[in-house]
Amino acid sequence: MRRSHLLGLGFMTPAILLTLALFIIPVVLTGVFSFTNMSTSTGITGGAYEINPRSIRLMKDAGLREGLIGDLEENLYKIDAAGLAQVEKDFGKKLAEEMKGAYDGQTFKDRRELVRAIKDLKSRPRSSRDLNKAADLFQKSILNVRYDDESAFLNGLGNLGITLQDGEQAELTRFAYTGWVWTTENFSNMAAMPSTYRAAFNTVLYIAFTLTFNIVFGVFLAVATFYLPSAAASTFRTIWFLPRILPHVLYVILWKWFTWDTGFLSQVLEPFGVAPRNWMMDTEINAWVSIVLINGFVGASLGMILFSSAIKAIPSSMLYASEVDGASRLQQVRYIILPQLRWPIMFTSIYQTLSLLTSFDYIYLATDGGPGSSTTVWALYAFKTALNNYGGNLQYGFGAALALVLVGIGILASVLYLRLFDFKSMNAAPRIEQ
Amino acid sequence: MRILIDNFTKTFGTTTVIRDMTLDIESGEMLALLGPSGCGKSTTLFAVCGIHRMNGGRLLFGDRDVTTVSSQDRNVGVVFQNYALYPHMNVFENISFPLKIRKESKADIDAKVREMAKLVHIEDLMERKPAQLSGGQQQRVALARALIRKPDVLLLDEPLANLDAKLRLEMRSEIRRIQQETGITAILVTHDQVEAMSMCDRIAIMNKGQIVQLSSPSEMYNEPASAFVAGFMGNPPISFLDGTVEGSSLRLDQSSIVLPLPESSRPASPASRVKLGVRPEYFQPENPDKVEGKISFIEIQGRETLYDVTLENGAVLRSIQSSGPLHKLGDTVRWGVDHSRVLAFDESGARL
Repeated sequence: MRRSHLLGLGFMTPAILLTLALFIIPVVLTGVFSFTNMSTSTGITGGAYEINPRSIRLMKDAGLREGLIGDLEENLYKIDAAGLAQVEKDFGKKLAEEMKGAYDGQTFKDRRELVRAIKDLKSRPRSSRDLNKAADLFQKSILNVRYDDESAFLNGLGNLGITLQDGEQAELTRFAYTGWVWTTENFSNMAAMPSTYRAAFNTVLYIAFTLTFNIVFGVFLAVATFYLPSAAASTFRTIWFLPRILPHVLYVILWKWFTWDTGFLSQVLEPFGVAPRNWMMDTEINAWVSIVLINGFVGASLGMILFSSAIKAIPSSMLYASEVDGASRLQQVRYIILPQLRWPIMFTSIYQTLSLLTSFDYIYLATDGGPGSSTTVWALYAFKTALNNYGGNLQYGFGAALALVLVGIGILASVLYLRLFDFKSMNAAPRIEQ
Repeated sequence: MRILIDNFTKTFGTTTVIRDMTLDIESGEMLALLGPSGCGKSTTLFAVCGIHRMNGGRLLFGDRDVTTVSSQDRNVGVVFQNYALYPHMNVFENISFPLKIRKESKADIDAKVREMAKLVHIEDLMERKPAQLSGGQQQRVALARALIRKPDVLLLDEPLANLDAKLRLEMRSEIRRIQQETGITAILVTHDQVEAMSMCDRIAIMNKGQIVQLSSPSEMYNEPASAFVAGFMGNPPISFLDGTVEGSSLRLDQSSIVLPLPESSRPASPASRVKLGVRPEYFQPENPDKVEGKISFIEIQGRETLYDVTLENGAVLRSIQSSGPLHKLGDTVRWGVDHSRVLAFDESGARL
């Protein structure tokens, strides 16, 4: 390797490291997480073993033996040392010793059975209230008891006298486990859920509308400012560039002020008999128009700058020639300027498709995906699933799976675009000579 | 069509580039606007085609006053220095663009474009894009596009500047041929006096926004109105000798050399300062009025050889000789000036 190669590698290193840290590693981790069922309830470290209402429900869904589930759900009464010590404390040594002698180690299916048994003893409490109280001291249940490992769990089951048939142990252990496990369920769930399709549809809608607005408005601004005197044009361009350099939160707050039911729009329209309303969130259509405009004005400013410089790069003699050839302003735009904006328009479309695919910040700030989930795009859906769930159960695994789909589509689209627009020739060495 | 530029004034901001210029171009004539860069020749051209607004004066195409008419409605054809072909259109679309803009019928356009392509010899190139054409071919396409709608005047802005030397020669005669075949009035803007002389009927030589002389090429060469014109016309250029009048002769500054003045241009007052212009072809070994000097530079041009001869006072005379290089650098020579062909100018540069 020559020294210049090493130098090149040296210059590349920061970029490689950044790509690694900010793209490759996150993507790999997303891929890993997407094949787990990690969530708030499983945690991201290991888990414990516990039978709880949720696992009971899952077991029922999975069709486990009715009897076993019944046993797990039922409260049992078992005469053991701990219970006897408590009886001795509350009801005296006599009863405790008598119970130990008569029933030690025995299990009773319910409280009535145990109460009846106690009634047979000599030193039994007199009131039925006390009898119940004494019986309760022996109440045992596996429900909501956490065991740190599998053997403790099985031990607990045995202590309660729950008997397992062949093959049930492994299944029961699986259902009782509260930690995360490897699974492909995220993807099958995704395909089955209607909300996924809604998010996908919203994303397509969002990209199509916003991109169209960006390009059309960007071209319009660029062409309009091209024909203005240069001082006016640069003022105009600066104004249109403001949304882009404004912090996102501020920009969206301005929009909210503009559209609130006590905001600018409502106030202005009130004298004309239009009832004040929240113009941003009133209907789904309002919300869509809002997010397309909010994103569109920002996106159009980029297009405006790119298209303006592309128009300026057209030799002035070519524009003179078209004027001398008799072309009016509109004809000049249509036949000379627009055809020469082909490449910048294509580039902007590619770039913005990819960035719109993953961007949800303005939507999150403006409508938060609402009303309902009518403006929830895929990226926002993934974000909410994984990191910002209203219900509180953050589904990291499912969210990662959603994000992975986005990464896949993004990479696929990039490769497709590069092929389609022949990136190599776009990057070809410039021809300085005519 | 006769073109009249009448008292034309052009200002950019506070700078007046052209003041009160008047130029009358006859119908079917090809006229050169010749001058150094910055003299206002291109500005004049842009004013004629309507890209620049005139700040004063009138512009007449025939009897029609087009001073305030926009360039779209002016009916001029322009060939720009870089041809300004539309890169996204092929040759056919480029040529037909002015007709398409006027929404002429497809059949009409087709016929006219074929005819024009035949005139400029590019029938085989119709499907090509400008980037696939050589400089000369692009030039032809630009000419065809300028001529397709039969303009009142054809304007050529340094049309040969971007061509290599061989193509330049070819296109020079081609442009002239096409102009003569179509009989169109044409204005050629150039800084190259050879181009102007070889292509045009008349030359308007410009300096600092003024036309300093307007005449036919040979008249301009042989009878320049000023030292500026004499210096601009001719290649290799004329050499100037400064001196003081002594009777009917001129004594060169700081030297013993005395040269006779031409009879036709005796200065009014004795002892006045005079600048003598000697073209290289009139400083030859066989001429009578000998001047001694040392050869300080030799340029072999093949058919001819150019010598710079430095006189005793440091002034330089050029001589162009068709014989081979007989002399060496540093040789002392005594060659003669043909005083009947010498041009005399007064101190301000005006011809005597």
